[in-house]
Amino acid sequence: MLEIKNINAGYGYLQVLWDVSFKISKGEFIALVGPNGAGKSTTLKTIAGLIKPKSGDIIFDGKNITGTPANLTNRMGISFVSESLNLFTNMSIYENLLLGAFIIEDKQKQLENIDFVFDLFPRLKARRNQLAGTLSGGERKMLAIARGIMSNPSLLMVDEPSLGLAPRLTLDVFDALEVLRQSGMTILLVEQNVNTTLHITDRGYVLEQGQVILEGPSRELLENDHVKKAFLGI
Amino acid sequence: MKEEKLLKEPFLVVFKRWMMSAGGITITLAVVAAIIATIDSGPFIIVNTVVTGGMWALLSLGLSLVFGVMNIPNFAHGEFFLIGSMTAYFVFNPMRLYLNDNPSAFLSAIAPFLGIFLAFLVGALMGIIMEKLIFSPLRKRSRDQWVMNSFLLTVGISVVIINNIQLIWGANFKGIPSYWNVDPLEFLGVRLSVDRLAALLLSVITLAIFWYFMRRTQTGRAVRAVAQDETGALLVGINLNKILSLTMALSAGLAAMAGASLLFMFPAYPTAGLKPLYVAWYVVILVGLGNVSAAVIGGFIVALLQTLTSYYIGTGWEDVIPTAVIIIMLIFKPSGLFGSVVKGVHEQ
Amino acid sequence: MKDNAYTGTTNKISISDQITAALGSLGITPIGLLLIIVLLILPFIPPFNQEHILRWLVSAALLAAQAIAFDFTTGYINVVNFGFAAFLGLGAYTSGLLAVNLGLSPWIGIFVGAIPAALVGLLTGLLTLKLRGIFAAVMAWFIGLAMLGLTRNLVDITRGPMGLSTPTLLDTSSNRPYFYIIVAMMLFTYIVLRKVIHSRYGLAFRAIGQNMDAARASGINPTYYRVFNFTLQCLIAGWLGGFYAHYFGILTPQIMLTSRTVEVLAIAYIGGRGSLWGGAVIAFPFIFLIEGLRSNLTALPGLHLVIYGLLLVLVMIFYPGGFAEFYNKASNWVKTAMRK
Repeated sequence: MLEIKNINAGYGYLQVLWDVSFKISKGEFIALVGPNGAGKSTTLKTIAGLIKPKSGDIIFDGKNITGTPANLTNRMGISFVSESLNLFTNMSIYENLLLGAFIIEDKQKQLENIDFVFDLFPRLKARRNQLAGTLSGGERKMLAIARGIMSNPSLLMVDEPSLGLAPRLTLDVFDALEVLRQSGMTILLVEQNVNTTLHITDRGYVLEQGQVILEGPSRELLENDHVKKAFLGI
Repeated sequence: MKEEKLLKEPFLVVFKRWMMSAGGITITLAVVAAIIATIDSGPFIIVNTVVTGGMWALLSLGLSLVFGVMNIPNFAHGEFFLIGSMTAYFVFNPMRLYLNDNPSAFLSAIAPFLGIFLAFLVGALMGIIMEKLIFSPLRKRSRDQWVMNSFLLTVGISVVIINNIQLIWGANFKGIPSYWNVDPLEFLGVRLSVDRLAALLLSVITLAIFWYFMRRTQTGRAVRAVAQDETGALLVGINLNKILSLTMALSAGLAAMAGASLLFMFPAYPTAGLKPLYVAWYVVILVGLGNVSAAVIGGFIVALLQTLTSYYIGTGWEDVIPTAVIIIMLIFKPSGLFGSVVKGVHEQ
Repeated sequence: MKDNAYTGTTNKISISDQITAALGSLGITPIGLLLIIVLLILPFIPPFNQEHILRWLVSAALLAAQAIAFDFTTGYINVVNFGFAAFLGLGAYTSGLLAVNLGLSPWIGIFVGAIPAALVGLLTGLLTLKLRGIFAAVMAWFIGLAMLGLTRNLVDITRGPMGLSTPTLLDTSSNRPYFYIIVAMMLFTYIVLRKVIHSRYGLAFRAIGQNMDAARASGINPTYYRVFNFTLQCLIAGWLGGFYAHYFGILTPQIMLTSRTVEVLAIAYIGGRGSLWGGAVIAFPFIFLIEGLRSNLTALPGLHLVIYGLLLVLVMIFYPGGFAEFYNKASNWVKTAMRK
């Protein structure tokens, strides 16, 4: 479904990604893990179209989408929940969600999707008219993910959902991702919380200094010596 | 959380807090001043305030919108007002002359609206041209020091527009005696010309449509979304270029419409845009940069301030008193009476 | 000049090197010196020795001096003083009124007039420069308009639009001595402001202009330096205004119009922001172009402002470095070409 071929990308003169390649099949739940500054967020931003790669190809559903701007990748079915969330802070939860369905013209479908995400995150339903800027950290994450799935994406990319969250809320978020995966959505998850991530995902890629150094089924990665030493502290 | 609490609080508490806020105090004072002045000198004070206030509101909200969404401090905003009054003049005046010879009740009723509507369209078109021809190339080249660069660009544009108008159409005043050649209406002892009444109704209706558009349609929400988080807007699939052009078109169109509607009060001439520009900036700084809904209230407050100073203190001091007022405001509340929506009034 | 240093045949420092070094410390390059010399002998060379052309030269030098002062603020701390002309006018009216009412010598008045301009500038700065740059621009504009309104309406004092006749600096009808006075004032402005730019203050200005956060993090108080810069600019504007008052001999509120500020702003930008000298160099050919146009095309009033505006827009979009950047690139290109 998504294939990344030899991507080189970065910010201005600073190159972050060096020949990164990986593949995701439909319905997979993929983890992208690695230390700080390894280029995980940059990878997601490049796929989403926020950054233009210097070279390499991004193939999505058989189409080459390299360099397509972010508003168009969203229309193709890629949804990106960024680390900074990029919520519309002076709008209510409800309005944020409506905007999440910006590319859907059908009003009925928009409302169906809102019902779906309210089922997924009941906390949001209770605060539907509250401004996004006044929400707690956990609620913001939920809102960002909820907004991300409002457009019925075929691929959902989530950047660091657990960052700064209490453990219980982190579990809530992961549970929600699990539900989405069961509904058939393909998910690419970037996380620093390597242990939990590798327990819930199918396969994983380990990124270090802008390069993919390891890949394989998540279970095997959990057993891998390098992963154990570097991320799990065993 | 805060909002929930606020909703559960008794109305009196909320009302009290609002009354203690800068915005509440100002609105209360303005209403009291308006009433006293009306009792003292007659209802024309209220009429003048409301008629010009509505148009200042249209003018200021456009300026505020462009600053909020595109981060452009537009110093060519007055020129949109001018383009509006020029368009209305050139559309309406021939019709007026024609109607003098060939009276037709239907055409006489329609002609002013035609002039004003065309002014809106021409203004909106100018806005789009400006975005595509000038701001878009600059945005692509560099966004460093964007606010200052775009400010200087608009200064340049303003100079070019003013002097081109002077070169092409000369410096003489282009005005009309009135849009509707009808006797003024009598209402509770107040004489109100139909032109003024129409301008008032037009501004109220336009404000209502604008409010509905911004709050209740996806496109309007997208405009607000771009103002609040550009990356977020891109990520939900909003086409930034379209929204920026639309914003500019709306802002320019509304200013042009204000210019056209007030043609019977302010004739068109090359530098006629300076006064509206001053007013719009004054309102925006007074209520808070980028705060679009407050700009509407601000339009009325400033109109009242102008009416009062010119009536009680005399023309000429019109420029001095408001400046003194805004200096006091900046000392105590630099983010504006109703708070700025743009992040960081203080230099970051 | 560099070639001397490279060949190094003598141990003694040649006199020309000494002069270059001395001028360099004033911020004048050899080419700059050449231009100044040309400027100084210009009033004796036909056709420039005619009185009406000498008037253009005086206007050009006055505009050049204003452009230098304007760039000192916009080019370094990124603040646009949109009421610049009004500050100039404040200095002019102060000096003019003192001469008319108290008989103060214009030679002293010029300097006294700078003080209220600087004071109003200081207050404006204190009020707005802790806020975003746009507040300073808008407030300076408002205050400028208020001053314009006052001069128009306090007819008892300023004689309003009828104009205030002021004594001139010199008892002569020739423009030539005035030209030398204003060129001296222009050079003084340039040298002083350049000294400031190359001092500790200049470093702070540049740090603030580039990145306010980083500047604050390294212990610079941005508000202090911005207010200092702004006040100094207003001081010089007021001083130049004094020359205006006692050169033209008549003052009208027109001097404070926003379009005058726009003229200075356009010249400073087309000349090249952050260079100080760019606007000054550009001002001379510009005045000649525009005065030439104006005297040949009287049917088209305002054409010169269209040219200012269009050039400003074009420079801003396509060549933000202005003439100074063009010159620097060209001279680098020539240097490398010569070395080959």
